[in-house]
Amino acid sequence: MRSLLAFTKKEITEHMRSGKILFLGILFVLFGIMNPAVAKLTPWLMEMLADSLAESGMTITEVNITAMDSWVQFFKNIPMALIAFVLLESNIFTKEYRSGTLILSLTKGLQRYKVMTAKTAVLILLWSVGYWLCYGITYAYNAYFWDNAIAKSLPFSVLCWWVFGLWVIALMSLFSALFSTNTCVLVGTGGVVMVSALLSMIPKLTEYLPTLLTDGNSLIYGVKEPDAYIAALAVVGSTALAALVGGLILFNKKQL
Amino acid sequence: MDMLRITDLHKRFGDKEVLRGLDLSVPEHSVFGFIGQNGAGKTTTMKTVLGLLKADSGEICVNGERVVYGQTATNRYIGYLPDVPEFYAFMNASEYLDFCGEISGMSKRETAKRRDELLELVGLAGETHRVGGYSRGMKQRLGIAQALLGSPKLLICDEPTSALDPVGRKEILDILLAVREQTTVLFSTHILTDVERICSDVAFLNNGVVEIQGSMSEIKTRFRIDGYRLETANEADRDAIRRAFPTVKAEEGNVLTLTEQDTPMFDVLRFIAEQRIPLLKWERCEPTLESLFMEVTKK
Repeated sequence: MRSLLAFTKKEITEHMRSGKILFLGILFVLFGIMNPAVAKLTPWLMEMLADSLAESGMTITEVNITAMDSWVQFFKNIPMALIAFVLLESNIFTKEYRSGTLILSLTKGLQRYKVMTAKTAVLILLWSVGYWLCYGITYAYNAYFWDNAIAKSLPFSVLCWWVFGLWVIALMSLFSALFSTNTCVLVGTGGVVMVSALLSMIPKLTEYLPTLLTDGNSLIYGVKEPDAYIAALAVVGSTALAALVGGLILFNKKQL
Repeated sequence: MDMLRITDLHKRFGDKEVLRGLDLSVPEHSVFGFIGQNGAGKTTTMKTVLGLLKADSGEICVNGERVVYGQTATNRYIGYLPDVPEFYAFMNASEYLDFCGEISGMSKRETAKRRDELLELVGLAGETHRVGGYSRGMKQRLGIAQALLGSPKLLICDEPTSALDPVGRKEILDILLAVREQTTVLFSTHILTDVERICSDVAFLNNGVVEIQGSMSEIKTRFRIDGYRLETANEADRDAIRRAFPTVKAEEGNVLTLTEQDTPMFDVLRFIAEQRIPLLKWERCEPTLESLFMEVTKK
């Protein structure tokens, strides 16, 4: 247990000293502020454009902004935050393979599963803190400007998106155990997400696919009920678990 | 007792067979030189001992315990210094040793004590800069400190001196000599002067097998050539000796070598005395590691 904590501590120190935590902090805070800000600025933007729109025959009567617009922004922006997070963290394992720093730790008797556990835990921690910080900021601004009650199933919809992020982290761990370069990790993780997105075009499959969890808009507008997400959540839970267990097995056998 | 014993070790990478039945035994408290050309299989052998590579067949015992690939419990007896040790660049030397102590399950007090002792030993005490800015020699010295932190019974160093300048090399060799009392040292190298300087035992690795192995004195006796080397002042004298004794071999310049079996030494000496041939040099041939190395790798 002490060695697991020591390795986790090392990961966090590394993130702090390399400035990654600062970068992620700024990123998530910025996105959190941007969501309500963009919504708030929409009427003003419309007004600016009103003249040119009028020339092309469109007239703007009254733009009514609610918390919904801000939440739509949230679900539009959070994928970008996740992509930035994945790009930044894709080398969390592979840079240690490349530099050989892991060899010394492992030859000191540190069990391999602890390396994997610590790194995955740190990824989950960073994603969770960043994500909920972003959510909290958006939520607070929305409550101040408008009323959050208008969004249906809001807690569930944002929970789904957070779980989707955890699923992506499980994929990163799996591909980091499987491959030795961060390009392969990115291609593998991105590839699986892409396949899920492509398959969701087949209507019969949509409700089972992980990408369904990213559809927060349908929930807040009440187009879909939370029940419709249960199957996808089960698929995400079981594949994430399989990815983590598979990753552990592969990592134990990996030649370093 | 043997601290490390390897029996019939085989390892191939694709269609390249790197180790073909390697046998090696490292006695306790020896400084063991593991000599071989680049690509002879030294690093592969060491990584297999550490459980970082999976052997195709064969057995490895460290301190009497069998080595298992993957989760390698025998590593608690071993301190390892890779050829190019890499540390977390964001830590400083003392933070890194603390981290090593924590992951290997040493108590805080013990870690602190060993850390201070070792930083003193390798000359990094008071070094507060982060490892990222260290020179190669400093990294190598920190590498030895981390390898010795857990007071291992066996210290394995992979070419610890190859990349260093003469001063750095001497520092590392001095440290290895100094720790001989506490541990068994196995180090691979192709620098023969380093071996002559500090090793008590050696093994020559060639083409994936150990060709010669034993203590330095044993090997020197076993491979003693009863031969002599002499140098004449000019070519005429040299040719005169060669005409009289056709079994004498000519080397470069005016140097001649002879072996006792082919050419009785006193006959040659008598001839030289009678002919009044001036000599620049007359010496007994000692087997050098270099000549042994050449002989082993030529095969």
